[in-house]
Amino acid sequence: MTRKKKKKKNQKRPASAPKSNLSKQPAAESVTLEKNTLNTTETSTPVASAADQMQGEAYLDIVWRQFKKNRFALWSLWLLVPIFVMAIFAPAIASNQPFLFQEGGETIFPWFRAIFHTEEVVDFVFNMAMIGFFPVLLVGLLLNRFWRNRRVPGRRRLARVLVLYVAVMIALTIVFSFDALRPSNKYRARTFTEEEFRDPENTRAVYPLIPFGPIEQDISAKFKSPGYRKPLDQIEGSNDHFIHLFGTDNTGRDVFTQMIYGTRISLTVGFVAVGIYITIGIIVGAIAGYYGGRTDMLISRIIEIVMLFPAFFLILTLVALVGPSIYIIMVIIGLTRWAPIARLIRGEVLKQRSIDYVAAASALGASNGRIIFRHILPNAMSPALVTIPFGVAGAIITEAGLSLLGFGVRPPTPSWGTLLRLGSENYEYWWLVVIPSVAMFVTVTVFNLVGSGMRDAMDPRLRM
Amino acid sequence: MWTYIVRRLILMIPTLFGVTIVSFLIMQMAPGDPQLAQLGQGGMAQTGQSREAYLLQKRDLKLDKPLILNFRYFFDYDEADRVAGYFLGRTDQQIADELPAMAESTDPAVKRRFEFLRKMKIYDFDARLADPQRRVDLAEAIRSYLKIYCEDNGVYAVADAMEILTDENSSQRMKIGMIHALDNMVVEPFVYTYSRHPSAKETPLIESTWRIWWDRAKGTFPRLDPDREKWCAGQFNEMVAEPSRAKQFEIMEGFDRDDMRFFVECLLGSSTLKEKAIASAVLRLYISRPLRSTVPLNADAQQVREVTENWVAHYDARISVYHPELVKKFWYIVSDTQYAHMVWRLVTFDFGRSALKTREPVGQKIWDAVIVTAPLVLLAEVVIYLVAVPLGIICAVNRAGSVDRLISLALFFLYSIPPFVAGMMLLLYFSFGDYLKWFPMLGLHSIGAESYGWWHYLTDYLWHATLPVICLSLFSLAGMAMYSRSSMLDVVAQDYIRTARAKGVSSTMVIMKHALRNALIPIITLFAGFLPAMLGGSVLIEVIFGIPGMGRLSWASIEQKDFPTLMALIYVQAIVVMISILLTDLLYVVVDPRISFEGQGKSTA
Repeated sequence: MTRKKKKKKNQKRPASAPKSNLSKQPAAESVTLEKNTLNTTETSTPVASAADQMQGEAYLDIVWRQFKKNRFALWSLWLLVPIFVMAIFAPAIASNQPFLFQEGGETIFPWFRAIFHTEEVVDFVFNMAMIGFFPVLLVGLLLNRFWRNRRVPGRRRLARVLVLYVAVMIALTIVFSFDALRPSNKYRARTFTEEEFRDPENTRAVYPLIPFGPIEQDISAKFKSPGYRKPLDQIEGSNDHFIHLFGTDNTGRDVFTQMIYGTRISLTVGFVAVGIYITIGIIVGAIAGYYGGRTDMLISRIIEIVMLFPAFFLILTLVALVGPSIYIIMVIIGLTRWAPIARLIRGEVLKQRSIDYVAAASALGASNGRIIFRHILPNAMSPALVTIPFGVAGAIITEAGLSLLGFGVRPPTPSWGTLLRLGSENYEYWWLVVIPSVAMFVTVTVFNLVGSGMRDAMDPRLRM
Repeated sequence: MWTYIVRRLILMIPTLFGVTIVSFLIMQMAPGDPQLAQLGQGGMAQTGQSREAYLLQKRDLKLDKPLILNFRYFFDYDEADRVAGYFLGRTDQQIADELPAMAESTDPAVKRRFEFLRKMKIYDFDARLADPQRRVDLAEAIRSYLKIYCEDNGVYAVADAMEILTDENSSQRMKIGMIHALDNMVVEPFVYTYSRHPSAKETPLIESTWRIWWDRAKGTFPRLDPDREKWCAGQFNEMVAEPSRAKQFEIMEGFDRDDMRFFVECLLGSSTLKEKAIASAVLRLYISRPLRSTVPLNADAQQVREVTENWVAHYDARISVYHPELVKKFWYIVSDTQYAHMVWRLVTFDFGRSALKTREPVGQKIWDAVIVTAPLVLLAEVVIYLVAVPLGIICAVNRAGSVDRLISLALFFLYSIPPFVAGMMLLLYFSFGDYLKWFPMLGLHSIGAESYGWWHYLTDYLWHATLPVICLSLFSLAGMAMYSRSSMLDVVAQDYIRTARAKGVSSTMVIMKHALRNALIPIITLFAGFLPAMLGGSVLIEVIFGIPGMGRLSWASIEQKDFPTLMALIYVQAIVVMISILLTDLLYVVVDPRISFEGQGKSTA
């Protein structure tokens, strides 16, 4: 126990006390410092907050430089890009709605209408992200130029563009959730297939890369192994003859398409669940650590009780009682895993509370809320933030496990766990096991590597 | 140290309290009728249990009680009883005829009665009231709602109901209605025989029941001649001596109805409990309906008087239940509730029976699963220790070398494989189809393994357990190896290691003899951390490999909505986690003499 304590005391220094850290930086840091000072003087913001920003920036610089040293972490950060691209641009990669469809003299664009009409809300939000991507990229490039002239540091520019992207995504989701505002999907019921195929002279269709939809069933092609291509005499539609790269499932849906759309579900569950529990954990932990006394006692007991229950079993029970749905899964994972975070933050806040700057802030008349959220938490939050990538990986695993047991995503929505479930029912269809397994392994490894890189960078003492 | 342990144990009490609250909330969150859920949803209709059996079960599970606080002993049930008596004493047709007049009546008593009906929120009340065709329908609904009301408020409403029943001014019809209401409030009012394990507590109730019957029926039984009486006594003694119930029953069938005079005397006169139990059983066999608890709606005064007497006797025998003392009433506010009863059952580890049709005791079920899971997890743990600790030491010795990096990376990838994914891949590769077929697909034993010799049995078990054990150990392997690596690094940095090296001890010797023993200390303490896993198992792995352990039991109980089992599982696992945390802390002290808990309590509290 003594050993543990000693370790803890030392390990948090770089993370928790950036101010003292800064003053001790070697000469190499002074360049960034200068840059920041320049920037702040030019934008003529109030001195106090400018100093705050400057120091925060310097700390992030240190973290980033440390992170870059870890090659695996850096690579896996790049590996995240295709995963996100796959999630955001899923309909552009795989859809049974043609981009363009010509029949006789008429030309229509079913794909552009279809992306506004989805079964699952998650899909809709991601589609909005897809629509917003290029405009935001354009605006971002322009703004980037503008900000660079005003000497806004690089990572801050990136962060601002990301925030803008999320805002645009949310705005688009809200705007197009009104039925009147989105283009009607009058082609949905129509099959683009038969007449087109029978009259190839007069019709032309341009499909996405994989011309299969996520819930498009084909009863005549059940459980076909990877590489299956429908023989010509059985074809009913124009997209039918395309190769099923990863085979099909029990209702003849294309596995590759399902994998791509499943990425959306996995990432959503991962990030939303982690977002929920990090938020709860930080708030609860900060309150316990800052107020101490009876509040702390009570909250610590609650944390203890929550941690007593075996996590997966508890989640399984709650999901079974409330009813399976990804939204419920996200919320339940979020509501059951906050306890360790709260404990971590509590310890950090306890440590920070006794440092002089808190006394200074309260002497200046800052309210408790302000002290907690503006002064203490920015210094105490990094150990919790480090757990985010691990948490996302964990939540993805949990969701897949629940789906595997039949308590997860409802069947028409494609998800990796559902495919695994089909595979586990009969191992003869090996691709239903192997493909989602490999995808999960890659995703989880990438997130874990990013997480360990972050941990090493923020907290060198914790390095394994 | 003892103070520390005691303090921790005391802190466990509020935690346990919280655990019970969480389990209780989970139970109450269950969709649908919690009573039906606990009794096993489809079970009733399928097994054709009678309504009476259902009510008895409900009473045994205390599901007729309020959830958290019970104020029902303080309620005045007079009005409700009167309403119930009024409607239950009439046929549907009569009620239907009276309803329209009642709706327009200005009499305050009738108005109140009508308001009471409205408060029960009977489905489609007004529409059915307005439509003459559907009024009989409505009357039926009213009666069944009132019956359920009587059932739910059972014990508490009896005192007021008895008052109305014994009141001289009550009309004949009201009395009949009251008897019907009482019949719904109390399940099995009269006790005729002892339970499976007779106790002296039951004696007064049984004796009083039979005494009432005997007072009434005495005249119909002739005196027995001495020979017959002697024969009866002989048979009776034989039955008392006979241990087998089936044999006893055989002898019982040989008597005659007229012999009952003898057995009544036996019951009311004889001294031992066993004799009384047998006498009451014989009586019950030959007397089909000793005491009536209900009357037909068109009963005459004589019948009503007789049944009233029965009820009065019943009430007098149990006055302490129906009309407890004031102090007890206050105590019942907190103690006579569903929650309190649940806590009591959990604290005494009385988990009851499964809600499935098998009605297996939950404790037995859990035990059967634990003895499957525990050896498996133990094996996995051995594997983890045998593999991870050497790996960690190798890493620590070659710190920052290529071996260290390679092993760390490999472990990291292993850590990233979700265990169930690993399980499915292993099954696919090693067990399925004609490809490798090294290991079996499902289960832990071959068919017919019970007849194997112990060696064969053991190898068969190990053969089956290989893949599950690998999956179970994968996840913790990396963590454990990293832990032992850092622990070793800590030790290697100590002064005494440098001293040993300076003395010229070979580096293998330094590691094996000086460093290893101290490095193992923190690793050993982790042992207690496996306790929860040992009792909890892994749901996914056990489902994939078809192992009937704790994980699969939890999954099955969730899927089959077996709530008693589910609650017991959650509770047991929470307790085990609590104990394992305590054990880990204590092991620290036991293993490492440098650590003590002196002054620990002050800083944590």
